[in-house]
Amino acid sequence: MPGESGADERRLVREAQDGSGAAMARLYSLHWRGAYRAAYLVVHDAAAAEDIAQDAFLAAVDALDRFDRRRPFAPWLHRIVVNRALDWARREALRRRVDGAESVFEPLPPPEEIGDEMIAALRELPAEQRAVVVLRHLLEYTPGEIARMLDLPRGTVNSRLRRGLDRLRETAEAELSAEGRR
Amino acid sequence: MRRDLLGEALREAPIPGAADAEERGRRIVAAAFAERESGAEDARSEPGGAMAPQTSERRRRRPIPRLALGLSLATLLAALLLSPAGADVRDWVGDALTTSTPRPEPTLARVPGGGSLLVQTGEGPVVVRPDGSRKLLGDYEGATWSPHGLFVAAVKKRTLSALEPDGTPRWSITAAQRVSVPRWSPSGERIAYLSGFDLRVIAGDGTEDRLLAGSTGAGTPPEARISPAYVPPAWSPTGENALAYVTGASRLRILDSETGAVLAAAPALQRITWMDWADGGRKILEAAPGTLRLRPVLPAGHPSRPALGKARLLPLPPRASVNDATLAPQSPVVAVSITHWRKHGTYSEILVFRPGQGPRTLLSVPGSLGQVEWSPDGKRLLVAWPGANQWLFLPFGRGKGSAIANISKAIAPSGRPTSFPQLEGWCCRR
Repeated sequence: MPGESGADERRLVREAQDGSGAAMARLYSLHWRGAYRAAYLVVHDAAAAEDIAQDAFLAAVDALDRFDRRRPFAPWLHRIVVNRALDWARREALRRRVDGAESVFEPLPPPEEIGDEMIAALRELPAEQRAVVVLRHLLEYTPGEIARMLDLPRGTVNSRLRRGLDRLRETAEAELSAEGRR
Repeated sequence: MRRDLLGEALREAPIPGAADAEERGRRIVAAAFAERESGAEDARSEPGGAMAPQTSERRRRRPIPRLALGLSLATLLAALLLSPAGADVRDWVGDALTTSTPRPEPTLARVPGGGSLLVQTGEGPVVVRPDGSRKLLGDYEGATWSPHGLFVAAVKKRTLSALEPDGTPRWSITAAQRVSVPRWSPSGERIAYLSGFDLRVIAGDGTEDRLLAGSTGAGTPPEARISPAYVPPAWSPTGENALAYVTGASRLRILDSETGAVLAAAPALQRITWMDWADGGRKILEAAPGTLRLRPVLPAGHPSRPALGKARLLPLPPRASVNDATLAPQSPVVAVSITHWRKHGTYSEILVFRPGQGPRTLLSVPGSLGQVEWSPDGKRLLVAWPGANQWLFLPFGRGKGSAIANISKAIAPSGRPTSFPQLEGWCCRR
């Protein structure tokens, strides 16, 4: 992750535990964007991503005294974010199945701002595959670390990652081929 | 696929409203951190503070030294309510505080405490004047007072009308879809209302009708659409054009009614049915069938927008169902009508919450109570008791209560009993 070294981050956590608002603000600045982006790329809903990232930081504030300052802060935060994002995505999928055609609103259209085919393709993956792709390629965790964060066997992480990347590769190749035909 | 290509796409994908979200989050987290620190400071100043337990423990234990100092029974009630083991004791304490219901009078000869009531009957909205006389305003489906009681906004199908309190129409507009839940702004200059799933605003003189948020607005993002629960919008009492509403994505949003800009947003209470501003615009009270929640509204910072802080639940008895909640005029006191099961059947209570205190039981009766409404001076509560077909006027503080019997007949314009009337307001809060 960009920004502070591990030692600097441990110092920030220690200072925040001692009541330093400046240290907490710095931790926020260092980690909000990654947390929010990760949540967004799993749920593809800006409002839900904001809630998830906020909740994760509020949980961090609540649990600050109990936090083991020898451990890095980011994986702990990201674990909360991605697990909550997965919960949200599963609930949303269930809600859509239950509401079905009776839903008052039409399905969410893809935001126009996201023109990137890769992001659109990511959105089509199952939430579980999106989560491991985001953890691996946005937040740059190893499969072993992802397995611990999601409480999954490492083999499951690898298979989800492989399936997700295969689907994304197909999209990229189709896009390249379409470009070639134009 | 090349990993760097994917990583780059993930890092650079634009997210709508990301900068605003970061700023809102920053202020909410800063407020939560400041709150944590003030709690820690309290604990450090108490005996044994140097060995103070972790945050959640500190919060639970804070009332104990207060009890040692002999603080009020209300605080004891709050502590009891917060623990499941206290529920039975709480029942006992609740009974001990229960006021007896007043002997009902056969007719409404005057409105106790003064002021005019607006009630919805099966025949239409009725104004009950201070002397008890009644005026049917027409066959409207719903109505609400203007801030000073000079007008009533009334709805019928796709029509929104402004009336004088004697029923004389001042203006009407016809909307594209069915109109509901009109709400006047504190200045009286604007009326917010729902038309279908659109949130609209119109000037108090019936001009400048415009869409603020909704399903039909061009460019309206899905998360901005109106909740299908038709939660009435609520104006900030500060008169700063801030209007709260609930979106179809179950978000509580505060809009600037003039510009349409989103000033703040947060998750709404699940299954929210009602909300209003509390404590002079410093909090928002949300109600759902089994839950009441207060969310602080943090003052405008930089950029000059308010933010919504961390919400806190108000303690209610287990499995209680919230019938209604109402905010006292000019004070941050909340009155709540609840129904819950006890050992021998259904009971209903009127609970009153004061800031920093636990609930006080003002009334406990068997069966189901309904709506609750403060008098304009905040000195009494009108409690609807549909099961007994009565209205109860309960003093808040000293004084005698009173009750009116056979209310569905007493209020009905034709004098024939109809459905139990619905309270729309007790004029006028200032």
